[in-house]
Amino acid sequence: MRRPQKTCAICESGVRVVDFKDERTLSRFLTERGKILPSRLSGTCARHQRQLSTAIKRARQLALLPYIKGFAG
Amino acid sequence: MTRQYEVVYIFDSALEEAAVNERLTRFNALIQQDGVEAPQMNHWGKRTLAYPIKKHETGYYVVAKFDAEAAALPEFERAIKLDDGVLRFLVVVNEGAQPVPVTAGKSDEEDDE
Repeated sequence: MRRPQKTCAICESGVRVVDFKDERTLSRFLTERGKILPSRLSGTCARHQRQLSTAIKRARQLALLPYIKGFAG
Repeated sequence: MTRQYEVVYIFDSALEEAAVNERLTRFNALIQQDGVEAPQMNHWGKRTLAYPIKKHETGYYVVAKFDAEAAALPEFERAIKLDDGVLRFLVVVNEGAQPVPVTAGKSDEEDDE
C-alpha cells in the first residue's frame, strides 16, 4: 500500500531559492517545539528540504526563529 | 574575485538611529571599492528576538547587500566583531538573485511551468 505522493509546497509557490529572512514561511516547516519537520511529513522535495534546513539554521542564528520553542530558560 | 554578499546585523536596540548609521557607514567603508555601487541597505527596525542575546530582548535589524572582494571580508568581520553595539551579525553569499544573462528581446518571466 502506497500513500499518494504529497506535493512540495515550496515548488508549488514558485520559489526557486528559500530565503532565510522569511521566518513566516519557514515556521510552517517546524514542529510546535521548533524542530525541523522531516520531508516525510511536510512533503517537500529533496532540493527544497536541503535549502529549508540551511535557511532555518541561519534564521535561528539571527534570532528570527527559536532553537527551542516554549522553553522558559 | 568579487561576489555578492548579504549581511544581517542585529544592533543593540538602545542605540540611536544616528549611531546605527554611523556604524554602518564605517563598516561599508571597509568593503567599498571604486566603481562598485554602494551597498543596498534595508532597515527592518526594532524586532523582538526569538531568544535573548547578551541579555537583550529586542534588536534593531539591518540587512545589507553588496558586491565585495573576498579578501576584504576578514577585516570587515573583525571590525564588526569588535563593536559592542552589534549583538550579532551574519555574512552569507547571496544566492537569492543569481545574475541572469540578458538575452536579446526576450524576458525570462515566462517559464512558470
